[in-house]
Order: sequence, then structure tokens, then C-alpha cells
Amino acid sequence: MHIVVTGMGIVAPIGTGIDQFWNAAVNGVNGITRIQGFDASSLHSRIAGQITDFNPADFLSPKQIEQTDRFTHLAISAAQQALADAGDLENYSPRRLGVSLGSGMGGFGTFESSVTRKFQNKSMPPFTVPRIMANSAAAWIATKFGWKGANLTCSTACSSAGNAIGMALDLLRTGKADAVIAGGAEACVLPLTMSGFEALHALSTGFNDDPAHASRPFAQGRDGFVMGEGAAILVLEKEEQALQRGAHIYARLAGYGCACDAAHLVAPDIDGQVAAMQAAIEDAGMTPDQVDYINAHATSTPLGDVIETKAIKQLFGERAQEIPISATKSMIGHTIGASAAIGSIATIMTLHTGTIHPTINLAEADPECDLNYTPNQAIRKNTRVGVCNAFAFGGNNASLVFTTR
Amino acid sequence: MDTAELEAKVIAFIASKVENIDTSTITTASKFEELGFDSLDTVQLLFDAEETFGVNFDGDEVKGLRSVGDIIDYISKHPPEDLKK
Repeated sequence: MHIVVTGMGIVAPIGTGIDQFWNAAVNGVNGITRIQGFDASSLHSRIAGQITDFNPADFLSPKQIEQTDRFTHLAISAAQQALADAGDLENYSPRRLGVSLGSGMGGFGTFESSVTRKFQNKSMPPFTVPRIMANSAAAWIATKFGWKGANLTCSTACSSAGNAIGMALDLLRTGKADAVIAGGAEACVLPLTMSGFEALHALSTGFNDDPAHASRPFAQGRDGFVMGEGAAILVLEKEEQALQRGAHIYARLAGYGCACDAAHLVAPDIDGQVAAMQAAIEDAGMTPDQVDYINAHATSTPLGDVIETKAIKQLFGERAQEIPISATKSMIGHTIGASAAIGSIATIMTLHTGTIHPTINLAEADPECDLNYTPNQAIRKNTRVGVCNAFAFGGNNASLVFTTR
Repeated sequence: MDTAELEAKVIAFIASKVENIDTSTITTASKFEELGFDSLDTVQLLFDAEETFGVNFDGDEVKGLRSVGDIIDYISKHPPEDLKK
């Protein structure tokens, strides 16, 4: 049984909608700017990948907006696009339609504002809890579109969407759903989350006056990740049923693998990353020599990019040099729990269009990062098997394998 | 602020919160449930009213607030500083 992608939607710092996003990605457009949503002067990292041209009032009523956090707004927008793209799903029973979403932080903007009110002895907004809870976005998508089957949310930090898409694959393979809305959403360009990651020295601090060059995976001089926000959604269904209803098929979701380092909560681990990629490739019924594209996790931290490079070398051996790799985060920053869904869309579009988007800001690579990262310019190349990586705090590693039909 | 002015402001506030209701039908006698607010919507409405009018509905008294007029009466009896002028 094959599971296929028949609809996609995205809200990202370089574009809303698949066409706008992919056009920007292929052209290496930078999406990192100075923080605009709040006064960031007390932060050491004052830049982010933000979504500016976005208004939830375009698709939600004032009452619905009041009851929802920004991460839910982004998720609903991406889901609405993906469903429009997927076409007519009326033949499926609503109880067979599932949602599987990832978010690392959930409604953290609501958490921050409600905590602030509490400490000022002000009354508590009644929708504080339903706005914050991590499953709020999945629940709203189900409610808005009438998807009444399994409704799951996965919160595994930066691999949340990778695990969520993998969980969707499991739902379809085990016959628990006929179609699943799967992906991730995150909106934590916020004072508290930024300060928290700063305290771990995880964020870039040296490019506040030059935001366009801050997110530089694999490059010399990289000094941490740049916070980003966004959402991306896939509509997944069984190939046979998709063909029956005449759906447009972008790619197959062929494999999913996950592994925990069980070593350190925040430091990356080569063996865990290798294990996740290997498991995903095996799950797809394939071998590493068939992989011809990797969408790297690559957050632009000094350690993380070297560890991922070593993991790819360990798994793919001498072939590692031949496989084109790209880092979507070089353009949009790290969207935490949404990042693997955005990376999945980049992987799918790579297979679908025969174009590999570049890793920007890669004028000079770190000597320890010595693979083919598609520096600065997109390349035309037909690929058939793409791996999308997501590695996370908690020692979580998730990899997905997408293939052409 | 005189009573008529307060009444107009509260009705305008309620009108901005209702959905699928002809706002010209809202009067001081309108009950929240008649305007389409369920119990949770009403809690949110009263929270928004606190923010808008600078009042704090007391924990016990809030349970008795059921209509547009109840909000107006409450604000009249507990005027915030800037409404006393």
C-alpha cells in the first residue's frame, strides 16, 4: 500500500501558498528581518523569520480569533490551502478523516500574555487554556473542516511535525483513517521563548545588524539558529483511493523512522540521527544507495550542522558526497515544531519539479561541513527519493522518505 | 458620562461581539443567550467588557449579569475612575 500527498499548504516567512513559497525558495530569498512584533531591545538575538502579510480575519470570525492563538491561525490557513489543493474529499466518511499535527510550544504567545496579566493581578482571559494547549490547532482544523476521525498532536520540540507526519502515515497504513491532514505549526517569535533559547546560547546573536546573513547552515561564522514561525500542512491518503477520485498526486510518503538519543536532552548525537534516517529508508523498503536528495535539519548552530554532516557520511559512506543536500532554514530560520512540515514540502517540491533549492549564505563552508549543500544557487536535477530530517531537543530524531510515483 | 452615553457605548460594544444577529435589535433588555452567547461566550464577553470599560466584575455579582442592561447597571454602580469625570 502506498500513501501519497495530494494537497499542500504553507505559511512561511518567504511566502504564503505553495507557489509563492517554492518560487522564493528556488530563488534563495532571505526571510530573516529585525523583530517587528514586540520590543526586542533587551534580547541578544533581535532577528527572526516572521510572517508579516497575514490576517486571520481573512478566514476566521472575530469571536474565533479571540478564542485562538497565532499558531492555530497559521495552521488553519495552511490546512485551508491544502484542502483546496486536494480537491473533492466528499467520498470519505468524516469519521475516517484524521488530523495529525506537530507543535513544539503550542499557544505560547497566549501563555506569555496570560502569565503577564496574572502577575499584574488582572483577570484571566477565559480562553487561556484552550488557546495554549498544544492540540488546539488540530482541534480547530477538525472543527472548522468537519474532520471527525483521529485527532492527534505530537510535541517533540523541533521534530514535532516529522513525528506528526509519521503518525499520519501509521494511521493510514493501519487502516485507522482514509485521509489525514498532517503537518505542523509554530508561532514563538516571542520574548520568553527567545530568552529561553538565548539562555542556552542556541540563538544567533552576531547578525542583528545584518539579518539577511544570520541563518547560515554549514557556513563559516555561523553562531546559532534564527527563530522562525510558520505552518505547513499535507493532505495524505492511500494511492489507490487518490487515483480513484482523480486526485493530483505530488509524491509518495514512503517511509518514516524515529529514534531517541537517550543521551543528552539538548546535544545532538550522530548515532541517533543515523538510526532515524536508516529506519525511515528501511520503512520505505529501500536502501541508502537509492536516496538522491536530503533536506537537512541544519539549523545553523555550530555543533548541529557538523553532527548532521557526520551522520550523513556515516550512513551513506562515499555516496554522501554525491547526494545534493539543502537547508531550507537558511532562508526562513528555525520554525521549531513546523520545521519538518516545511522541510517536507521542500522535499516534495524538489521531487515534483526537478529543482533543488539552494542553501543560502554559504559562500565559505565550515571545513568540517564538506558535503554538497547546493550552495547559493538552485540546481536542476531530477531526483526520485528524498529524505527530510528533523532532529530535536529531547534527543528526538525523525526522518521521512518521500519518493516519486 | 451620562446614562444615555454609557448605554450607547455598551450597546455598540455588544453589537461588535455578536455574530449573525441584526445589531439594530439589541436593547438594554436583550439577554446574552438571546444574542447567541452560550455560557462560555458570555464569560468571554464579560472579560472583554472589563477590558473595554475598565471595570472588574466581582466574582459573586458576575453570576447575576445576564443582559445588556445588567452590564450598564454594574458599570453605573461601580464607575471606573475615567468614567466618573
